[in-house]
Amino acid sequence: MPTMAVILKGVRVVLEYGMLLWLLWFALKLTKRMFREVRKESIRQRRPETSQNEAVISVVDASEENLAGRRFAFSEQISIGRGEDNDIMIPEGFVSHHHAVIYQHGSQYVIEDLGSVNHTYVNDQVLQGRAYIKSGDIVRIGMVALRFER
Amino acid sequence: MKNWGLMAAPLGIVLFGMSVLYLKMNPGGSKLTAEVLQGPLNYVPWLAAVILLALFIQAVIIKRREDTFLFPIVLTLCSVGIVEIARLKPALLVRQLQWLCVAMIVMILVLRFWGRIRRMLGYPYLLGVACIFLLGLPLLFGTEIGGSKNWLVLGPISIQPSEFGKILIVFFLAAYLSDHRRVLTLPAHRIFLLQLPPLRFIAPLICIWGMAVLMFVVEKDLGSALLFFGMAVLMTYMATGSKSYVFLALAFIGVAAAASYAAFGHVRVRFDIWLNPWQDPNGMAYQVVQSLFAFGTGGIWGTGFGYGHPGFIPEVHTDFIFAAIAEEMGLIATMMLMTCYVLFFWRGIKTALSCRKEKEVLLAAGCCSLMLLQAFIIIAGVTKFLPLTGITLPFISYGGSSMVSSFVLLGLLISLSKEQEHG
Repeated sequence: MPTMAVILKGVRVVLEYGMLLWLLWFALKLTKRMFREVRKESIRQRRPETSQNEAVISVVDASEENLAGRRFAFSEQISIGRGEDNDIMIPEGFVSHHHAVIYQHGSQYVIEDLGSVNHTYVNDQVLQGRAYIKSGDIVRIGMVALRFER
Repeated sequence: MKNWGLMAAPLGIVLFGMSVLYLKMNPGGSKLTAEVLQGPLNYVPWLAAVILLALFIQAVIIKRREDTFLFPIVLTLCSVGIVEIARLKPALLVRQLQWLCVAMIVMILVLRFWGRIRRMLGYPYLLGVACIFLLGLPLLFGTEIGGSKNWLVLGPISIQPSEFGKILIVFFLAAYLSDHRRVLTLPAHRIFLLQLPPLRFIAPLICIWGMAVLMFVVEKDLGSALLFFGMAVLMTYMATGSKSYVFLALAFIGVAAAASYAAFGHVRVRFDIWLNPWQDPNGMAYQVVQSLFAFGTGGIWGTGFGYGHPGFIPEVHTDFIFAAIAEEMGLIATMMLMTCYVLFFWRGIKTALSCRKEKEVLLAAGCCSLMLLQAFIIIAGVTKFLPLTGITLPFISYGGSSMVSSFVLLGLLISLSKEQEHG
């Protein structure tokens, strides 16, 4: 039965390439699906709309559960400290009761350290008194890092 | 997204591969007799058990809304491994399938008891001590198999404690580092450009590094030593974000490597083979040289499954299975397998980033980078990118301990992915 043998040989070759194609198909499909999911997620996570005179403080790094990942939007002034009356309350020993404040000045924002004991750091440099702050700056207070965005 | 469709690929690979092997056994297409069916009858029940378990696990994962990508990736890797083992060492196929069943059952247990396992993260020092104990066992009761003294023989089965030690070390590092992250990032001493915290805070890390070197020396287990050391460095870097530790570790391993090159014969042999395998292609470097030939013969599309000669490579079904795949299925298959490992890693990191607690972030990142690091070390060794160190290719190689511990890591990773929200 030479024809039978030839057919079987053909089947075998097809199966061999089939294995490779399964692997290729799997990797391609997987990549496609994963990228699609990432794209969907990035659309969902698009930043909240901010108007012209609004700035957003987002918490980049915090060990406190109720602070991690939060965002605070404000337009005129926001205060940071350990006290309950602050807009952003950081319950840490390193943070003073009224630690720092960010407020609008003309078309820009200013960060001012309110005489805190353990200082406020802007982009890893100690803040002396007050300074203009621009979008993307990292403010570190105690063990918490905040990003300022407009 | 349910991803049942992705499960078709592993099934297809196994079916196609097994039929190729069957046709190779009976090229004439002879009648089905009891004798011809003897081989398949042995493994089919176990294969069916594996498939049923896999479907059950995927159903559980979907029901609990956990990550549905990780498990199909692993199944594909496993299916390639099963097919290769059936081709290279048919006698070990049933054993491998049995181990796969055991591994999947262990994984189900991990998924079931995750709530209790996660509490272990609260006891870093106990974990560390347990890890040292586990690694120390082979020093006392170990048996030497294949040149490394890292096996425990328990009656009919022999296990490799270091495979399970690596899970414990990930747990230990995750728990320890997140407890001490603040202290470890405090710059206290400045040595040249490195900023290091006080010695007493980094003592446990140095302890781990020292143990890796100890294993390296006493058990002649270079692969595990490199893996443990690499994990310690990676996790420290991930936890602290300080590059000083990486440079410190590089300096440390440089000194350790130089010292062991000078002091131990087997290290010198490995290193010399790596630099110039053509000095002694039929003796010391036989394995690596044959592996390189296999890669060269394979080319882009490979010689065809069942048509190559990977049998020339010693230990081809464990450490060198990647070379066999490269010879018979070519560059395409190897690239796709590496893609699978990388996508697994990506998915793992995504899981890690969506975890809430710092310990769990570190645990998830540790689990997936352990897998990628292990795959990298052995693939680099087989292709002579790094000096060869014997270690298994996760999910593909033959080996019970490695299979079970890899599935435990997978179970941990999938349990951790539960926290994130699916859209």
